[in-house]
Formats: sequence, C-alpha cells, structure tokens
Amino acid sequence: MSRVLVAMSGGVDSSVAAALLVDAGHDVVGVTMKTFCYSDTSGHGKTCCGLDGISDAKRVAAALGILHYVFDVEEDFTRDVIDDFVSEYARGRTPNPCVRCNSNTKFPDLLARGKALECDRIATGHYVRVEHTETGSFLSRGTDTSKDQSYFLWGLPPSILPQLLFPLGELNKPEVRSRARALELATADKPESQEICFVPSGDYRDLLKRRLGPIHPALEAGPLVRRDGRIVGEHSGFAGFTVGQRKGLGGGFSEPMFVLEIRPDTREVVVGTQEETFLDRVVVADLNWLTDAPAPESSVRVQLRYRSPAVEATVTAAGGRLTLQLAEPQAAVTPGQSAVVFDGDRVLGGGRIESAGSLAPTSGVPSPPSA
Amino acid sequence: MSAVYLDHAATTPVRPEVVEAMEPFATANFGNPSSLHRWGQAAAAALEDARAEIATALGAKASEVHFVRGGTESDNLAILGSCRALARPGVVPTVALSAIEHSAVLEAGRHLEKGGEARLVVLPVSLEGQILSGPLESALSASPSLVSVMWVNNETGMVLPVSEVTTAAAAHGATVHSDASQAIGKVPVHLGKVPVHLLTATGHKISGPKGMGILFVRRGTKIRPLIHGGGQERGMRPGTQDVAGAVGLATAIRLAVSEQEEEAARLGGLRDVFEHGLLRELPDVRINASPAPRAPHVSSIGVPGLSDGDALLMALDLGGVAVSGGSACMSGAGHGSHVIAALYGDDDPMANVRFSFGHTTRESDIDLAIAVTAGVVRRLRGEGMYRA
Repeated sequence: MSRVLVAMSGGVDSSVAAALLVDAGHDVVGVTMKTFCYSDTSGHGKTCCGLDGISDAKRVAAALGILHYVFDVEEDFTRDVIDDFVSEYARGRTPNPCVRCNSNTKFPDLLARGKALECDRIATGHYVRVEHTETGSFLSRGTDTSKDQSYFLWGLPPSILPQLLFPLGELNKPEVRSRARALELATADKPESQEICFVPSGDYRDLLKRRLGPIHPALEAGPLVRRDGRIVGEHSGFAGFTVGQRKGLGGGFSEPMFVLEIRPDTREVVVGTQEETFLDRVVVADLNWLTDAPAPESSVRVQLRYRSPAVEATVTAAGGRLTLQLAEPQAAVTPGQSAVVFDGDRVLGGGRIESAGSLAPTSGVPSPPSA
Repeated sequence: MSAVYLDHAATTPVRPEVVEAMEPFATANFGNPSSLHRWGQAAAAALEDARAEIATALGAKASEVHFVRGGTESDNLAILGSCRALARPGVVPTVALSAIEHSAVLEAGRHLEKGGEARLVVLPVSLEGQILSGPLESALSASPSLVSVMWVNNETGMVLPVSEVTTAAAAHGATVHSDASQAIGKVPVHLGKVPVHLLTATGHKISGPKGMGILFVRRGTKIRPLIHGGGQERGMRPGTQDVAGAVGLATAIRLAVSEQEEEAARLGGLRDVFEHGLLRELPDVRINASPAPRAPHVSSIGVPGLSDGDALLMALDLGGVAVSGGSACMSGAGHGSHVIAALYGDDDPMANVRFSFGHTTRESDIDLAIAVTAGVVRRLRGEGMYRA
C-alpha cells in the first residue's frame, strides 16, 4: 500500500480528508504548513500563525493514529505569496494569494517533502476531483458546486497531477461535517475560514502600509475620473480599490458609481456606471496548462472570479498570452484575478487576468462598451 | 511498527522507583506542607527529606536547595534574580553567558539587556570546549558581574569548564551560575568541589517528573525572587509546593548520582558503538563537538550534503528512530541551532541530528539506529535532496 502525505490545516475539511484516507487503508502521514508569523502583523510577541491550526491538526492526527509533522515554509511563503500580493496591489491589481500559494508554495513543497518521506501520493481537503485515466490525470470541479475550489488550483505544475488525491471531491460540506462529528474529530464544528490567512483582520490595507511604507504612490490620494477624463472626486490611495468596487467612492453622484479601472501610473481610479463595468474581451497572462492548451478559435468556458459561474468564450489568440472573446459581457473583470479555463467540469488551465476591454481597435486601454 | 527512542536529552521515561516514591504523596499523604495539622506535618517532613536527599547527592546544604518548576524557571530565577540583586543605583551589572547556553538562559539575558537592566556579553566557546579567557576576563573585570556557563551542553553533549570559570570569577567577586540539567547523572557534579553560586537541575532529564527542578543558591549569594506570595521556599519561590514532585525529583537525583559512574561508562560505550558504526556506514558525517570533552549520552551528528534537516528528522521518525534536530525545543520552529552556529559558523552546511541515550537504551537500539540512519541518508542523497 502506498504512503500518502495529507496536508492538514487544522480545519474540518482536511481533517476529514485524512480520516477518509486512513479508512481506505492507506499509510497516511499528516503535515501542516507553517506559512507565516502573526508577529509580523500584530506586533505581539512571537505567537505564530497557524499555531492553533497546528495544534488542532496534531489532535486530529493523534485521534486518527497517524504521525504528523510541521513543514516550515515561512520564507518561501513570504517571498512567493505575500510579496507578490503586495506588489500586485501596488500595481493597481487584485491578486488571488491562495492561487499563488497552491501553485508556488504548497503543492511544490508537499511534493518535495513527500518524496523525502517516501510518500508517493499527496492529498488535500480541497473540494475538487482528480481522475486518473490511461491517457493522463485530469482535474475537475468538486461535486458540491457551492464549495468547488478548482478555481484555486489551475496553477499546479501538471507533472504533479498523477500523484494527487482529493478525498472530498465527491462530498458536500454537510456530509463532511457529519462525518467529522461521527468520528468525534476535534475540528468537527470549527467555523469556515473566510479571510486571507495572512490578513486575519480582513483589512489588507494595513499590511500594504506596513510593507510598502507610509509613502508609496499606491497609498497616496489621487483623482477619481470618468472614462471621458472628467475628474469627479478624490480617492485615498488606489491600492484600496478593486475593479467593480462600489464602496469608498464618496457620494454626490446621480447614480451609483463603480470602479472600472485602476491606472497606477497616474494614480487615477476610473469610475463609471454599473453598465460600464461590463466588458467582453479578456487578456490572460502567466498561463499554466494542466492539459493541452486550447487552440485558437476554439470554444471554452472561463471562470473569471471565485464563486462566479464559468461563461462561454472563444479563444482569439493563444501563445504567451491568451485572448478571450466572451460570448456575453461580464461585470468587473479584474486584472490580477485568475481566469480559469474549463472544458465542462474539467480544468484545462488558466492564468492571471492582464487586462479587460471591449471589442475595439486599440489594445490595452479599454474602450467604453458599445451598448 | 517498532520504534526506538533516542531522544533522552529531550526527556526521559520516569523510572518505576520514582513513580513508587511519588505515589503516596499524590493520594494518602496529600497535605499542604504549610499546614499546621498532621497532614501538613507529614507533607512538610517529606518535602524536607527530599530537600536533604538532593543536598546530600549534590554536596550542598539542604537550605541551599530551592524547589522550582523545572529547568527553564530555575534558569530564569538565577539570571534575572541574581542580576537584579547585583544592581545598585547607577550601576548596571554585566551578564556574561556562553554562546551555547540553553535559550532559557540566553533569552533571560536578552530580556535584561532589552530592559536596560544588564550589559550582556556573549562568551565564545571553542570547538575544544574552552571559554576564551580574553572575553571572559574583560566581562569579569566589569563589576558587578554574573557569569553563566552550562555544565553540559544539551545539543552536543560538550562539557564546559565550569570549574575554571568559577576560579577565574572568584578573583573578581563575580557570581557564577551553571545549568547542570544535562550533567546530573552523566558527569560528576559536586558543589563542594566546584564552588558555583547558583546551579540549575531538573527532573525529567534523569527519569524524574516533568516540571520539577531546583535552583541551588549557595549561602550568601544575593538573589531576588521573581514571583511573590506566601513565602514558601524561603520566599525564593512562593506557591504551595508539589510534594510528590519533590519526592520524585529527589529519588531521581539520588539514583542518577549514585549510578553515575557505572551508567556513564555504559552510555559512553553505547555512544562509541553508535559513532563508530555510523562512521563505517557514512564516513563523511561529522561528530559535532568531538574535539571537546563530552558527556556520554549525546551524539550530535552533522550530515553533509542534505538540504533539509527537518525532512531528515521526519524520515528518521517514519523509519522508527525518534531523535531531535539541534535541540528538541526548536524542532518545528524550523530555525537553525544557535549552538551549531556558535561552534561551526552561521553558514554551516550540514543537517544536524542529535541522538541521545538513556537508562532504557540497549545495544540493539543502537544497531537499529545505525542501519536506519544510514539507509535514510543514502536514500535522501540518492534522490538529490542536496543543497543547491
């Protein structure tokens, strides 16, 4: 029987994933990744992040009769995830740190350490499925569409896929909870984690201020402008905004205003009506393919943010970047977020949204919607 | 799967004799030694018997032995309490610590320095186990001063020249503390022969109970308590005493000291078998601190060519050999050992593993440890887990 390394965050999902693997008769080793220190964010002592997660994971591992270790990935996590998060916001973009972590830190480290521990399989508590077939291994959405986490896994090195196991792929959350309760796992009734793990307060701007310093263009006041260049107000730093955002733009408009675009060079935050947030052309960079890349002119489905449905699109250009023409304009297509390309439920791959616009002769700068 | 425990420098199983000695004081004789009545009297008598037993074993007076909660508390009381007692208006004492002290000593010293309560001097230690006399003399000449040099280093087993340091300190009237947590029962520790002012010992490294230790304070040594309360332990460590723990600690110390010579010879033999065997299998490993005198129960091994010391420890555990990195207190913290850095430099490229032997260790454990370690190291090297 092969040995499986299961990543245990100390939450209920990965606890149940580990329990299912033990039940299935695998030789299971649990690990928790220590990603960063709260000392960096709170100023109190050396209390380390995830220490609660680590102790919960240890309790669950002991209850399951498996060994458990801590992988300290703090240095890699800081460089690959937190630094990237900060620099993306400083460029006026809205990053997906969980994608970055899975792609650059978590899975590569699990694979490398797993090899040292003679684990030929890597498992996590993600709600996704992986099919291992004669022709290769394929990643798909989890059966529970409300929990599906495939959006966060497009960046995995494709060579990892054959080694992955996702025991929760065909379960829904209530099933996972009841399983945890039946096993009397210490984590059975733990609440969901919603925040970005290294921004426990939920306010990422504090982190940006600490890491960028108090004087940085992204944190300085700048103009709120309309598409036609009219200045309609002032904002307190573009890093506090994301495309599609309505809050924080001040009042005095005849109809609700939304962020359409952030221009870091001029510190302008472009605002407009809800109608103006709809765009139908997306340029995607930093591509990663888990299967063959889609051919030009092919039809795909693309998911442009977490928890939003995939929409139909046509590939108009492929290569180093992918250009997608959406069948229907979509609201708030946000640079920095992931664009994940699907064939049905199967994840083909994805990339980071570089820019969005509408069918227009000029590239780069979006034009007003033609409606 | 069968597994061998070779982490006795982290902690040890409690000996049956110790459990037996403690049991009555957890059940029938549960009294508070400060109480007036017969239950209290029985408890007080047992507590004082335990104190006397420890004093006899270590060559001290009973009144010099103070029960505290373990080695870390003892170290903190020694460093903070004696430094504060040395301070006078306008005079900041010098606290000189060897670079390879336990973090309980080093962090206490850093705490004093941070608060402006002491001038901190870290004394370099040579690979041969010597404290360089230049830095030591200059620290001592800054009066008043406190010096702390551990008797046996917990990560490498290195024996430090406590006696020499004490002699040098005496000429300057400096206070000397030594943490002997890893020394009792492994090397001779006699307070009549080595006149340190303060000595730390703890139970769980010698098959005694956890959370039970002493601070020896030689008569006439200035020290202030860290916590305040009912005046127990001559006001040095208030709080209702753990009589069962004190009895267990006394039993463990008595046995460890009385068996020291024989057990040290046995453990040293096992260690030599281990080191020779490992070197035969892996000729390029380094025996850490080998040029220095070493206590017999620790074998700290530097493994060249492996990039990931944590992975090595985990792989050994999965292979059935339970050991530590530089120091068990740091395992999981993922940061390098300050002891290895002090002895071999900050950029020491080796993955370091501490094997430590104890009362329950047998030669068959050693044979298994050699075979598993050689196998794991070869496999990790074969898989290219090399430092880039």
